[in-house]
Amino acid sequence: MRQSLLNFLASAALSLGLAGPVVAQEAIKIGQIEAQTGPSSSLGFMATQGAKLAVHQINQAGGVEVGGKKYPIDLDSPDTQGSPQQGLIQLKKMLEQDHRKYILGPTLSNVFNGVREYARGYDGKLLMFAPATAAHPELGKPGYGFLLRPVVFDTAPEGFGTYMVEMLRSKGAKKVAILMQNDAFGRFAVDIYKDSFAKAGIEIQTHWFEASTKDYSAVLARIAAWKPDYLFPGYTDAALYDIVQQATQLGLTKFWLVRGSLGPAIRNKASIDEYIAYMPKYFEEAEKTDPKVAKFIKDYKDFFKVKDFPYDLAPLLNMASYDHVFMLAEAMKRAGSINDVAAVKKELLSMTYDGLWVQKFDSVGGGIHSYEIAEVRRGGAIKMTLVKPGSK
Amino acid sequence: MMQLIAGQLINGIIVGSLYGIIALAVSLTSGITGVVNFALGAFMLVGAYLTWHLNETYSVAFPFAVILVMGAVALIGLVADVLLFRHTRNNLINGLIVSIGLVSVIVALVHMTWTSTPQNMQPFVAGVFTVGGVIVPKMKLLMGGVLVSIVGLTYLGLTRTWMGRAAYAYAQNPEAAALMGVATGRLQVGVAAFGAALCGLAGSMYATLYSLTPDIGALYMLKGVEGALLAGIGSVIGALFGGMLIGVAEGLGSVFLPLAFNDAYGLLMLVLVLLFRPAGLFGGR
Repeated sequence: MRQSLLNFLASAALSLGLAGPVVAQEAIKIGQIEAQTGPSSSLGFMATQGAKLAVHQINQAGGVEVGGKKYPIDLDSPDTQGSPQQGLIQLKKMLEQDHRKYILGPTLSNVFNGVREYARGYDGKLLMFAPATAAHPELGKPGYGFLLRPVVFDTAPEGFGTYMVEMLRSKGAKKVAILMQNDAFGRFAVDIYKDSFAKAGIEIQTHWFEASTKDYSAVLARIAAWKPDYLFPGYTDAALYDIVQQATQLGLTKFWLVRGSLGPAIRNKASIDEYIAYMPKYFEEAEKTDPKVAKFIKDYKDFFKVKDFPYDLAPLLNMASYDHVFMLAEAMKRAGSINDVAAVKKELLSMTYDGLWVQKFDSVGGGIHSYEIAEVRRGGAIKMTLVKPGSK
Repeated sequence: MMQLIAGQLINGIIVGSLYGIIALAVSLTSGITGVVNFALGAFMLVGAYLTWHLNETYSVAFPFAVILVMGAVALIGLVADVLLFRHTRNNLINGLIVSIGLVSVIVALVHMTWTSTPQNMQPFVAGVFTVGGVIVPKMKLLMGGVLVSIVGLTYLGLTRTWMGRAAYAYAQNPEAAALMGVATGRLQVGVAAFGAALCGLAGSMYATLYSLTPDIGALYMLKGVEGALLAGIGSVIGALFGGMLIGVAEGLGSVFLPLAFNDAYGLLMLVLVLLFRPAGLFGGR
């Protein structure tokens, strides 16, 4: 019995030996560190959905042709759950064990802050597409050559915030009341926008609220007494629904916001006069007018086998996601290499990609892309204005 | 300024009645079962989402949705009591741990079912009343009226019916009540289900005023506990008053101070009451 077992093991070993080592096909290895579950998961969830679809489409078409050879893409997108510790563990595995050189994410600033110092150790050997707001101030700084931030910065020269403040000025606005969430992003938003408003000659009055606030009637009454032309109310839908509804009850009917959906405007369409909002893309309308968007939506439904497309979350695809996988593949083709990070980065910085968004990077890796401004009027009529890079 | 203060006084009373109804649920269940059931906040959360879901998805008229939700949440409260809290009677720590565990499960289920995307329901009654420059939304007035009426009916039920008097008797002396023929087991389960139904009602009223996110239960539960302790456990009218006191403090406080202080008023008053009148404002000395 023992002899037969040894014979079996020996023959099995011989068979494996005769078969020779299995040579894996060389692949382009991309990692993605995003929160797919947890309270801050909507951004990362949509980003990973987009990246998975892009990788599937590229691989189905035979891979990326670089230097006459086709490479499939191998995407690893674990769930950070929004935890900096998880993000760091996952990034270490991606860089040290899997030898990935291209990372999508993180979108969350806390995760970026948790991985930034470690990632700096790989400067020159890594490209990280990090949409996190905390990444923006580091662009172009020594040791951060690995960093690209695909999202346009609000108050950059081609930023949507700059455009929208100018839009308010042209409408004759003199006073804007800001009612902002008292947290890191809220403080940051007020800091960057107060200068823009000052430059445009618009007076501001700022009030703060805590994340747990549901009843804004007192602070809104104080704001109403100041008689502002527009209210700039927070940045999350959870707050916007309440603020917009309660503000209209007090006669504040004009809103201007740089984060948040059109949902609060549509819900209160009978009582608002104007609701101006930044939208990376209004997918509901774009589906009817842009064949690329229509195809994307169909492909998304087919790939994820879902009946309904997540129109509310889809604008978040402008984070490091669908377009950026194609952009990266295109840069590799142009660079003639899948491993020469410096050459790939050089191509990324010099190209304009026309995907779901028209987008490019500035000289330090800051994103510049097309976006839309929505103007919702009383009754629910929506006017969209498309702003393309360089069109201002 | 006077208009602003008057408006916030009215607003505080109405918002406080929402805290008061949860305080009443806390007061009743803890008086009868000996446990502060933190899952009551989660029952309110379920009530809010169910109301929104019935109204928006199935177009169930708001008043009918409220009745259905109160029934459904009462059933959830009853099942939770029979399966879980029956085993933690008069054991504060065990009851607390079980209720916190139940909160986690319910919040996770709400996340799974309705996601973390904020939801919003149209007010059942739109528009505002404006009197002397003071603006009060009609829906808030309706909510305040409904909640005060329910507290009043509960008070009548507890003082004028055999069951109510039995509940009071049990809260004062469980053994004597049992010897007098009070079916203590059924009484406890009944009060637990009634407390859950009150939270379902609070959730329904909340849903027609504010946006829904899966984290609302914890905050309102805290206000409810504060309101119940301010009043003194077991006081029905006191629970409503305790809730209103917190609501008014928040309303008037936010006229003069930043909204960041809103959650501190109730706790500050609670500290003072516990220092100088530990049995609560309406409790015996």
